[in-house]
Amino acid sequence: MARLIHSSSLAYAFGFLATMLWQTPRTQGAMEVAPPPVIQLTAADKPGDDGRAIVLHWASAEGAPQILLSRTLGDEENTSLVREIRIAAAAAALAAGATPEAAEQAATDAEQAMSTNHELGWKFIGVASGTEGRLGFEVTDLPAAANGFRFRAIASRDGAQSAATETAASVVTEIAPLFASRIPLMVAVIVLTALIGWSVWMACRVRAPQLRKIAALNAIDEAVGRATEMGRSVLFVPGIQDMTDIQTVAGLTVLSRVARTTAEYDATLEVPTTRSLVMTAARETVQAAHFAVHRPESYRADLINYVTDEQFGYVAYVAGKMVREKPAACFYMGAFYAESLLFAETGNSVGAIQISGTAEPSQLPFFVAACDYTLIGEEFFAASAYLSGEPAQLGSIRGQDLGKLLAAACIVIGTLLATIGAFAPDGSAASAASWLVGALG
Amino acid sequence: MSRPRLVWFALFILGGIGLAYNAFVRPHGMAQVFVERSEKTYIEAEIAPPIGAPKGEKPTTKWLASGDPALADGTAVAVPDQARVVVTKTDNVAPRIARERIANGEAAVSLSIIDSIGLWIAAFFTLAIFSFLWRDNPVYKFAESILVGVSAAYWMTLGFWATLVPNLFAKLAPETVKAWSMPSLPVDADGSLTPFFLALVPLILGLMLLMRLSPKGGWISVWPLAFIIGTTAGLKFVAFIEGDLMAQASNTITPLVALQDGQLQLGDSFGNVVLLVGVLSVLTYFFFSIEYKGRLGTMVGKVSRVGIWYLMITFGAAFGLTVMGRITLLSQRLEFLFGDWLWIIDPANVR
Amino acid sequence: MLKRTIPLLITALAGAILIVAYFSPATTNWGEVVTDWMNTLAAVAFILGGGNLLFVNLEKISSRRAGWAYAAVTLLAFVVTLTFGIFKIGAVPNPQFPATPWAGDYESVRAPFGWVYEYVLSPLTATMFAMLAFYVASAAFRAFRAKNIEAILLLGTAFVILLGRTAAAGILTGWIPVDGPFAILRLDTLAVNIMQYVSTAGTRAVMMGIALGIAATSLRLILGLDRSYLVSD
Repeated sequence: MARLIHSSSLAYAFGFLATMLWQTPRTQGAMEVAPPPVIQLTAADKPGDDGRAIVLHWASAEGAPQILLSRTLGDEENTSLVREIRIAAAAAALAAGATPEAAEQAATDAEQAMSTNHELGWKFIGVASGTEGRLGFEVTDLPAAANGFRFRAIASRDGAQSAATETAASVVTEIAPLFASRIPLMVAVIVLTALIGWSVWMACRVRAPQLRKIAALNAIDEAVGRATEMGRSVLFVPGIQDMTDIQTVAGLTVLSRVARTTAEYDATLEVPTTRSLVMTAARETVQAAHFAVHRPESYRADLINYVTDEQFGYVAYVAGKMVREKPAACFYMGAFYAESLLFAETGNSVGAIQISGTAEPSQLPFFVAACDYTLIGEEFFAASAYLSGEPAQLGSIRGQDLGKLLAAACIVIGTLLATIGAFAPDGSAASAASWLVGALG
Repeated sequence: MSRPRLVWFALFILGGIGLAYNAFVRPHGMAQVFVERSEKTYIEAEIAPPIGAPKGEKPTTKWLASGDPALADGTAVAVPDQARVVVTKTDNVAPRIARERIANGEAAVSLSIIDSIGLWIAAFFTLAIFSFLWRDNPVYKFAESILVGVSAAYWMTLGFWATLVPNLFAKLAPETVKAWSMPSLPVDADGSLTPFFLALVPLILGLMLLMRLSPKGGWISVWPLAFIIGTTAGLKFVAFIEGDLMAQASNTITPLVALQDGQLQLGDSFGNVVLLVGVLSVLTYFFFSIEYKGRLGTMVGKVSRVGIWYLMITFGAAFGLTVMGRITLLSQRLEFLFGDWLWIIDPANVR
Repeated sequence: MLKRTIPLLITALAGAILIVAYFSPATTNWGEVVTDWMNTLAAVAFILGGGNLLFVNLEKISSRRAGWAYAAVTLLAFVVTLTFGIFKIGAVPNPQFPATPWAGDYESVRAPFGWVYEYVLSPLTATMFAMLAFYVASAAFRAFRAKNIEAILLLGTAFVILLGRTAAAGILTGWIPVDGPFAILRLDTLAVNIMQYVSTAGTRAVMMGIALGIAATSLRLILGLDRSYLVSD
C-alpha cells in the first residue's frame, strides 16, 4: 500500500509542478525579462482530415521567443487524471492518520475541487517557434474529446516566461468525408486509370500498339522447346511471397503462359511453392492453361506442391531438386530476396536456361548477373500482357507508357522551374516548383 | 569400395581424428553448455483497488512471486484454496564461470546434457549444408529433408498460435480462449468479452478454399482466390502510385544548378544533371510501345541504351554493397563452428 | 457463370472498393482489416499446404519411389515438430499465469519446440544463408567472363563500391589530394558519387517503372482483362 501511495502522489506532485512551471510568469534574475504574452491565439479544426488534428495560429513579439503550448485533456486522459488525484488525496489523508472513510471523503473532495481548479488538466504538447504561429502550428494525434479542446500558449525567452494566453472557446474536431491531402493522389489515380482505359479502348477499337521486343519473353518458348527436346523438366519458381504480394500474382500470369507452352509441347512443368495459397492459385492457373489449349487430361496437380513457408528451407529443397533432376529450363518469376542467387547459381551449375523476373530492386543485380534473361522491374509486370497477345492487354501497356511520359514531363517541368527558381528564390517559378514537389509527395 | 564412398570414409575418419584430438588438447574439452536452475513459487493474489479509487472499480487478481512485497504489506492477499505453483527457471552460464561455481560446490549450476547435444547437432547440420558446395550427397539430402519438415511445422505452429488463435478463435469465442490459452486477453470496460463476428469472413473464405479438396465443390475455391487477387490489386495500386511513383518523381525535382552563397558549385551541378539524365534515360528504357525502328524509334533506342548503362551501374553498386554482408554471414557460421562448438577461438575469454 | 462471371465480379468489386476506400477517413482502415483477413486466411490455408506435404511424402514412401527414406525423414521431422508446437509440449510456464499451461512459452529454448528451433532449424537456415558468400563469388566470376559492356559496367562498379567502402580505398588512392582536381578518382569519393547520383537515378527510375507496372497489372486484374487464373467456360 505504501508503495502505491508513494508512486501516485509523486506523479501528482510532478504533474502539478510541471503545470506550474509553464504557467507562472518567472521573472527572477536580473537579466531575465519576461517576453510579452502571446496574442491572437486561435485554434481551428484542420479541414479534410480524420478528425485528429487542430491548427493553431498566434502572433508573438519580436525576437522569436519560444512558445510553450499545452491543451486540455481528452476524455480518457481526464478519467485517469481524476483517478490519480482521488488516490493521491486519499493517500495523503491516510498518511496524516485519517480513517479509511475519511480518506474516501478526502478523495471525493479532491475530485470536486478539481472541477473548479482551472490550473489542473492541461497537457504539454510541445515547443514552437514564434514564426510557426504565423504559418499555422498543427497539433496532431489528438485523442477523443467530446467537448473538444482548448489551448494555451506561453512565450518564453532565456527561461523567463510570459503570462499564459488561452483560446476563447473549445474546438471540436471533425472527420471529413475525404482526405484533402490525398486529392493529388486521387487525381493521379484517375488520370492513370483514364490513360490506361483509353489505351485499352483504342487498342480494341482501332489497332493494338506495336511493342518493342523483350528478349526474355521471346526466350520462353525456346527454353520450353529445349526442355522438350532434351526430355527434361521445366521448373517454375513463383517467388517466396504470398498472394498478398502483387509480384506473386504477376508471376502466376507468366506461369499461365509457360504452362500453355509446356502443355502444347507435352513437357513436364514443376511448380514447388512456398505458400499454401500460392499452391492453390498455381494449380488453378496451370489447370486453366491446360483447358485453354484443350489438353485438360495432361494436367497433373501433383507436380505443383507445397514445400515449406521457410525461405531457406524452400531453397534447400529446390536447389536439391535442381541438381538431382537437372531441369532444362528454370523460371524465377515473383518476389525474391536473398535466395535469388542460390537459385540462379544452382541453375547455372546444372546448365539450365534461366529466365527471371522480379520487381525486388535489391535482387535484380544477382538475377542479371547469373541468369540468361531477366525481366527488370516494370518489364516483369508488362510480361503477362505481352505474352497474352490480346489487343486489350497490349493497349494497357501503351497506357502504362503514357503514364511514364506524364511522370517524365512532371520531372522535366519541375526541374526547369526549380532551376529558374534557384536564381530567384522569391519568384513565381520557385513557388510553382515547390507546389509541384508538395503535390507529388 | 567406390570412389565417392572412399572419399566419405576418409572424410569421416579424418574428422573423427580431428575432433578427438581437439577434445584432448583443449584443457576443458569442447561443446559444453552450462546452466543454472532456480525455482520460484508463484501465488495467486487479489489486489483491492486503492483507497480513493473511483467507485465501482473491481479488485484484480494476479500471480505474484512468493517474495513480492505487495504480499508482505497486505496490498495483495493470497486467494484462498489456490494451490501454489512452482516454476523452474533455467539460465545459461558461461563455461568459465560455471566451472568455478561448480568447484565452489554450487549445486544449482550444472552441465546441460540436452543443450550440449544440441550444439553437436547444430554443428552437424552446419557441416551438412556446407557439404552441398562439394556436391549433392546423402548427408545434404538428410539435412534438407529435416529442414523442410521442421520448417514447415515451425511456420504452421506459428500460424496456429500467433495468427489463428488471437485473430480468429479469440474473436469468435473470447471467453473460451481467455480461459484456455490467452489469459491476458483484454476485457471490455464492463468486464465482459464480446465476440467479433467480422472475423468469420476469413473463416468462410478459408472453408471455401478447402472445398478444393472435395471432388465436386472445386469451383467455389476460385471465389476466395478472386477476392485475394482483387484486394491485392486494389491495395497495391494506390500504395505504389503514392509511395513510389509520385514520391520518387517529387524527389527528383531539384534545381540543376547548385548554388552556395551565390557561387555555382560545379561538381554538385554536374551530379544533378547526371541524375536527371539517368532517371529520364532509364524511364525511356522502360518505354515499350515504340519499336526501335524508324527515326524516332532509333533515337529512343539510343537513349534507352544509356538507360541500360545506368541500370548496370546501379546493379553493380548494389552487388558491391551486398558482398560484405554475405561474407559477414559466413564468418558468423565459422565463429559458431570454431567458437561455440570446437572451443578453438574464444575472443571474449568465457570458456 | 459460377466459375467465371462471379469470380471476375468479386475481383473487380474488391479491388475497386479498396481503391476508393483509401481516400476517405471513414474507410481508410479497410485496407488493414482486409490485410488481417488475408493473414488469417493464409493460416487456414496451412491445412491445404500441410495436407499436401503429408500426401506427397506418404505417397513417396508407400510407392517406395527413389528417395523414399528421405521422405520418411521429412515426414517424421514435420510430425514431431508440429506435435511439440501445437500441443505446447514442455512449454515453459508464463510467470504471469503459471496455472494456465496453455499460456506457456513454447518458443523458449527450454521447451522442445524452441530447442528444435535453436539447434536444428536456426543453424540449417543460417548456413544456407551463409552459402551466399560462395555464390556471390561464383556469380561475379561468371559475369566477368561475359566480356560485354554491360557486364564490365556491373562488375567494375561492384568492385569500386566494394573497395571504396573498405580500407583498400585509402591504400590504393589515398595519395590523391582531397581538394585537388583529381579528387573524384579517389575510390572512396568515387564510390560516394556513384551511389549519390548514378545509382540513385537508376533506383528511382526502376521504382517509378515498377509502380506504373503494378498500377497497370492491378487495373488489368480489376477490369478482368487478365483472367489467367480462371478456367475458361
